[in-house]
Amino acid sequence: MNTSAPSRLSPAWLRWAPWISTALRVALGAVWVIAGASKVADLGESVRAVRAYQLLPEWAVPAVGAGLPFLEIALGLLLIVGFSVRFAALVSAALLVAFIAGIVSASARGLQIDCGCFGGGGELGAGEQPRYGAEIARDAGLLAVAGLLAWRPAGRFSVDRWIAGSEVDA
Amino acid sequence: MSSKGPKRARAVSAQRLAQQRAAERRRRALVAGAIAAAVLLVSVVIGIAVYTSRDKAPDEFAIPKGATATGVVVGDPKAEVTVDLYVDYLCPICKEFEDQAGAELDKLVADGTIKIDYHPVAYLDRLSSTEYSTRASAAAGAAIEAGVFDEFTKQLFANQPPEGGAGLSNDTLIELGAKAGASSPEFAQAVRDQKFAGWTAALTEAASKRGVSGTPTVLVDGQRVENLSVDALKAAIAKNTPQ
Repeated sequence: MNTSAPSRLSPAWLRWAPWISTALRVALGAVWVIAGASKVADLGESVRAVRAYQLLPEWAVPAVGAGLPFLEIALGLLLIVGFSVRFAALVSAALLVAFIAGIVSASARGLQIDCGCFGGGGELGAGEQPRYGAEIARDAGLLAVAGLLAWRPAGRFSVDRWIAGSEVDA
Repeated sequence: MSSKGPKRARAVSAQRLAQQRAAERRRRALVAGAIAAAVLLVSVVIGIAVYTSRDKAPDEFAIPKGATATGVVVGDPKAEVTVDLYVDYLCPICKEFEDQAGAELDKLVADGTIKIDYHPVAYLDRLSSTEYSTRASAAAGAAIEAGVFDEFTKQLFANQPPEGGAGLSNDTLIELGAKAGASSPEFAQAVRDQKFAGWTAALTEAASKRGVSGTPTVLVDGQRVENLSVDALKAAIAKNTPQ
């Protein structure tokens, strides 16, 4: 964050902003790591979950299904350690927009699938109904967090802060 | 004017220092961003590499004798109507479906009206601690070779373990095979070695590619049957049966 930039935040908020940013950053990072870790053990399942959306051409399905879990874990780790937080937050936002679009599309087409967000092959369990509303609400909440972080990425305990040197405090 | 000289020089140098610092910050942020982007890219490549390395070509896994690469056909191959059944041996609704419609389907197979293309997929491996879906399906592959697939499937559903547990052990699967009529050491060995796990993975992948996103899924001549009641199923089969 540029110290000379005019801010519309009150001084009290300004004092808390880095801590709020830190908390949001670690929380969003943890969600990514958990989401990725729950898929990584069964990549075949992850690929099936992507295919169940019936959105991507078949040649792209394995790449997305197998690449996404690892991408999520890497992204989560970047956020947790606070490395390139603004960039990581923007990538998070882009992913979440894509996820929301996928779920909205699945819902609009009347597909009977599980989002596969935290593992699973997209299949619903016994007697399960799709939970598109809750899944979209959750992703929208995470998108808001990613937006806040992209706006104010500077926080405590971050690699970014260490790289920039102490004179560039937020 | 001259008295202002040093002061202005200090101001100019302070400004220059600030500019340099800002430029250095931007440079560092850019380098960090590039490194972060590279980290993400590499992670995706690793994922794809891991996946493709375990993906086997069709000639690299054993298909049970009497089965196809995507399942096993039960009944007269010349029967007019084909019913595709996608089931996971751990799926409770599949058991329910088998309990309700199994007898009727057996009858239609016996009188030559239908043949059943059975696909014992492993969709629910995450719902047991021992990948029971894969083990049960691979064991069914061994049962196909032993010629007791139908009876073994009935045994598996009759003894279905609950979701979220450890599933049945390989020893129990071997016992159920013996009850179904497969008491050979070859069957037991195939179950222990999960000889047909590659076949299970391939037919599971094929099911997913065909758009099967859950179990049970029933197709009558390629058309998905949404309502899985016996009557609806009979109606769908009758509609496709030439008079």
